[in-house]
Amino acid sequence: MTLKYAYYPGCVAKGACKELHDSTTGIARVLGIELVELEKASCCGSGTFKETDEFLEDTVNARNIALAEELGLTMMTQCSTCQGVIGRVNDKLKYGEQSQRDHVNQYLDGHHYQGTTEVKHLLWILVQDYGLDALKQKVQKSLNGLKCGAFYGCYLLRGQTVTRYEDPYHPHSLEDVFTALGATPIEYEGRTQCCGWPLASYATNASFSMAGRHLLAAIEAGADCIVTPCPLCHLNLDSRQPEVEKVIGKKLGIPILHLPQLIGLALGLNPEQLGLSRHIVSTSSVINSVLSR
Amino acid sequence: MKVSVRIRRQASRESKPDYQTYSVECSEGNTILDVLNKIQWEQDGSLAYRRNCRNAICGSCAMRVNGRAVLTCQNLVGEELEDQTELLIQPLGNLPVIKDLVVDMTKFWNNLKKVDPFVSTASRQIPEKEFLQLPEQREKLQSAANCILCGACYSECNAAAVNDDFVGPHALAKAYRVMADNRDDRTKERIEQYNQPGGVWDCTRCFNCNEVCPVGVEPLDRISQIKQTILQQEKMEDSTALRHRRTMVELVKEDGWIDESKFGLKVVTDSGRDLKGLVSLIPLGTRMVVKGKMPWPWKFKPSEGKLEIKALINAVSQHLKDQRKI
Repeated sequence: MTLKYAYYPGCVAKGACKELHDSTTGIARVLGIELVELEKASCCGSGTFKETDEFLEDTVNARNIALAEELGLTMMTQCSTCQGVIGRVNDKLKYGEQSQRDHVNQYLDGHHYQGTTEVKHLLWILVQDYGLDALKQKVQKSLNGLKCGAFYGCYLLRGQTVTRYEDPYHPHSLEDVFTALGATPIEYEGRTQCCGWPLASYATNASFSMAGRHLLAAIEAGADCIVTPCPLCHLNLDSRQPEVEKVIGKKLGIPILHLPQLIGLALGLNPEQLGLSRHIVSTSSVINSVLSR
Repeated sequence: MKVSVRIRRQASRESKPDYQTYSVECSEGNTILDVLNKIQWEQDGSLAYRRNCRNAICGSCAMRVNGRAVLTCQNLVGEELEDQTELLIQPLGNLPVIKDLVVDMTKFWNNLKKVDPFVSTASRQIPEKEFLQLPEQREKLQSAANCILCGACYSECNAAAVNDDFVGPHALAKAYRVMADNRDDRTKERIEQYNQPGGVWDCTRCFNCNEVCPVGVEPLDRISQIKQTILQQEKMEDSTALRHRRTMVELVKEDGWIDESKFGLKVVTDSGRDLKGLVSLIPLGTRMVVKGKMPWPWKFKPSEGKLEIKALINAVSQHLKDQRKI
């Protein structure tokens, strides 16, 4: 049976990290996963809508989920933050009181949130629905010898409390994917912690210090690259890495890959097609090590 | 059962830390504190840690167990070993160690004092009767009032780890508790105070405080409530943090998705008015252009549902305004 999902792209994957959208759709094609993009969806608020009012976050995202329900499909996210925000709203409305659903539905003109679907990150879909054995069988270029450090993102691990995929302090889904692709997982302190992105627009020192300590820990543990299922973490760890280096006073230069880019490399997709040249920190060391196999 | 317990040892403030492993005979139903007591009483009297009530009331025995802070009198050996092979016990994070598992909490207490953590009735006449509070007014304070000041949230706070000025989740949960108290007469000053650097906007929303709090304070949610109150103030001095939140709502209302270049210009440069902000974006912008990463405004595609989203956000905003008037 073909796996089919309602694809929620998120803002960043259509803008500054377009390579995420390209690599997600790229691997979906190879894996035979059908994605129906939610063209009418909106930004989840990235956790800030709740700071204005929780009801704003709930209604906007109930509408997003309702769009997936109308297709009769599970919603697929590809961003830790989108997942944590939309997943929490789904948990709250689906498993909460009927009166909450009714209240939200009063505001969803033309849509109706029912609580009939799930919200799942691409990472969870690959591990749970597609299966790591099936993924392993699709590997064209084993990533044997490539040392990958995972960077999960706070919202993916701790955003949801009702339905939860794994232990927020001892997760292993990313590491399991690395192993399936032939790569070596590198454990380091900081892989479950905050990248600093939420503070990057105004508390830059704190934000970049946060990113810096984790990148340094990963390098010291021997990682060749960091792999993240979150484009917001990617922005702070990759696009801001020159600023991060300044704040911590150390050279870093560690490539940061989006999860589907790493998978795409193992599936034999072209690095250019995966957008690996659209990074601030060069990914050539990773590409060379994979292509030289 | 025999359990392997690895403990971080440190003889004094200045000495180098080391790890020592003990083998302890215990049962799944023992608490982590029981295990520590067994080690201290039966194997190694030199091990230092804090304990008192054994009932999750006093907050003395908070430590890091298997990577995150817990009350050792509350967590059971069996639960901890569900997916781990040993117990790893370390002192709380973000605070200096005095000896072994005992940390110096001076900074924790000083930060608490910074938020003025007492209900203030100073400007009022001493009444004939007590200051009254209805049950529903008390109910609003319940979760924050549960705090036992154990330090678990502070230990795992990602913002406190890099920002010396950040008061921390414990202090802000208390700040909410006094700010939301109907008997307090300093609400206006508090809103100003918590809006300053070191206050709510320095939280990075890592969720660790909510995750480890042993008594359900959910400090992150209390911080969000303070932020909501600040954002509702009409006469609040503008700042990048406030613009960040307001611009998010504004742009999603217009286009459904966020136009990132517009967002950056509005938030960081205050629509071109903040020259320092503008200058700070130049290196980032340049390197994004070079790498073909720039989210140019002419490439931005609004959501096909943008009119619906606008109507939705308008209706919700109106509802929230009406609700506040009541």
